[in-house]
Amino acid sequence: MTCYAIARILPRGVAQTGGTVAFNWEPQGPAKEAQPRTAMIFQDSTSSLNPVHTIGHYLESSLYRHQGLRGNDARLEAMRLLERVGIDQAKSRLRCYPHQFSGGMNQRVMIAHALSVKPALLIADEPTTALDVTTQAQILYLLEELKSETGMALLIVSHDLGVISRLADRAAVMYCGKIVETAPIDVLVERAAHPYAHALIDCMPTVDPKDMEPPTPIPGSVPLLNNLPSGCHFHPRCPRATQECEARFPEVASISADHQAACYHPVHA
Amino acid sequence: MTPPLLEATDLTKVFRLKSGLFGKRASHTAVNAVNLELAHRERIGVVGESGSGKSTLGRLLLGLTPPTLGEVRYKGKSHAQRRSRDWMAFRKQTSLVQQSPQAALNPQMSVGNQVAEPVLVHKVGNRNEALARAAAILERVGLSSGLMNRFPHQLSGGQRQRVVMARALILEPELVIFDEAVSALDVSVQAQVVAQLRSLWQELDLAYVFITHDLRIVRHVVDRIAVMYLGRILETGDIKSVYEWPRHPYTRALLASVPTMDPRIRNVRPPIQGELDIAKLSQGCAFRSRCPFAIDKCAAEIPPLREVGNQQVACHRAEEMTPAATAQMETA
Repeated sequence: MTCYAIARILPRGVAQTGGTVAFNWEPQGPAKEAQPRTAMIFQDSTSSLNPVHTIGHYLESSLYRHQGLRGNDARLEAMRLLERVGIDQAKSRLRCYPHQFSGGMNQRVMIAHALSVKPALLIADEPTTALDVTTQAQILYLLEELKSETGMALLIVSHDLGVISRLADRAAVMYCGKIVETAPIDVLVERAAHPYAHALIDCMPTVDPKDMEPPTPIPGSVPLLNNLPSGCHFHPRCPRATQECEARFPEVASISADHQAACYHPVHA
Repeated sequence: MTPPLLEATDLTKVFRLKSGLFGKRASHTAVNAVNLELAHRERIGVVGESGSGKSTLGRLLLGLTPPTLGEVRYKGKSHAQRRSRDWMAFRKQTSLVQQSPQAALNPQMSVGNQVAEPVLVHKVGNRNEALARAAAILERVGLSSGLMNRFPHQLSGGQRQRVVMARALILEPELVIFDEAVSALDVSVQAQVVAQLRSLWQELDLAYVFITHDLRIVRHVVDRIAVMYLGRILETGDIKSVYEWPRHPYTRALLASVPTMDPRIRNVRPPIQGELDIAKLSQGCAFRSRCPFAIDKCAAEIPPLREVGNQQVACHRAEEMTPAATAQMETA
């Protein structure tokens, strides 16, 4: 949802009720005045693409809209983008429909489409969650390459800390609509302060043969948004919770210059 | 000697694909000469990419689809010999947990009635007994029996998956096939379901096949693992041996593809390129088109599954795959 708000694509019936989104230090206008320099890719690439249009139509219409390219220029640029994201035989692929592609290839098409905007910011919402591990490794590498090539910023949303560790410099941990901790990614995985962030790291399984302990689950489940617990929303599931946590939501406190957490009883204090 | 609980020999499934009115009859071998044995209370994981035939294998093992070649024996009796009454007895002792709990549950039936249904179908008890058993099994999978009167849409994804598990376990089956049972869940919920499954297995007289593409989860719920690629088993062995020293290049690549929680590891070239391609299944090793170690022999002969070290591997060069040698070959 936070991403939808940043990308100005909130669904009907949902409105931004407060706050502003600033881009290059300039506050952005209301929805509808879409930002030309932001692109977004989604988890389920196959259902994000329009099944009745060809891949070529999809890319060329975006190139026309954002770069004013048409006809042969648009086709050549679309081919170049497809090749860039690792789809070979680009010329014939432009005539294909999304159902003829695998999930991994459709995700590449989505990335090519995002690049057609020449984005300064790419928002990737669970970009590899539905993919096989081998395809996931390929898409992660592609995103890493594109990031260093174009210098775009990347906002990546995932429940998989492995994916976040590969792509992110900094991470924000969210729980029930609030950011409970932000830190550089290496600080977060080694010295997470918020008990929720800590628990998330503990329940991440690995393939390391030396680490045979099964992941530690977090007790309980995420509360419904219309029935949030009082105070810190995590307190009913938190091993460190006290009466204070139940009464008031903790203020965000700095642990170091670039490490903040909202917790009365941080783990590594 | 008592026969193994489940035994599959040369199991093969070929799907015919129609391609237009005058098109050539194409076919796709989803499962290709698979041999598998499962002992009482044994837990085996089947891993592979989508399209590797692992779900078809699960359906073949339960007799939900007939094999093209080969046979499946359960407690010494072949599926092919079963009459309808034998099937009922077999179904009572086995069950299947599928990937999408949303699709596996009836949206118009309360949780209690759905979980209790197998008891009524197999005439194990009357309605009251069935509901009492449903309440008990829901508690055992970590759900409150207060959910009995809820409907599936009122539950979270993790709760739904546990309802499906409860329904599969209510008759205390001896064999369960878990087909991507935890893949759609968030890591925190996944960890809960895995912990639950581990403790349930301790209490029950249960053997299972755990089908998944997730190499991180599978090793915590099984003893042995089989890696599938285009319908064939490429490597199989106990968890510890396979994870410590994967002998097949495909297993190595699968393990290396998993992102670790180490932010210092950046810009890692994907260990294998491309995707699994059913069209490239002609002769020789099915994996050779994507294999960094492929030699001429791999195109000529299909490598048989044979003993190498602690596991069975289908690779001509399995002996050369020492950790040091592969690292050297990869950098070269």
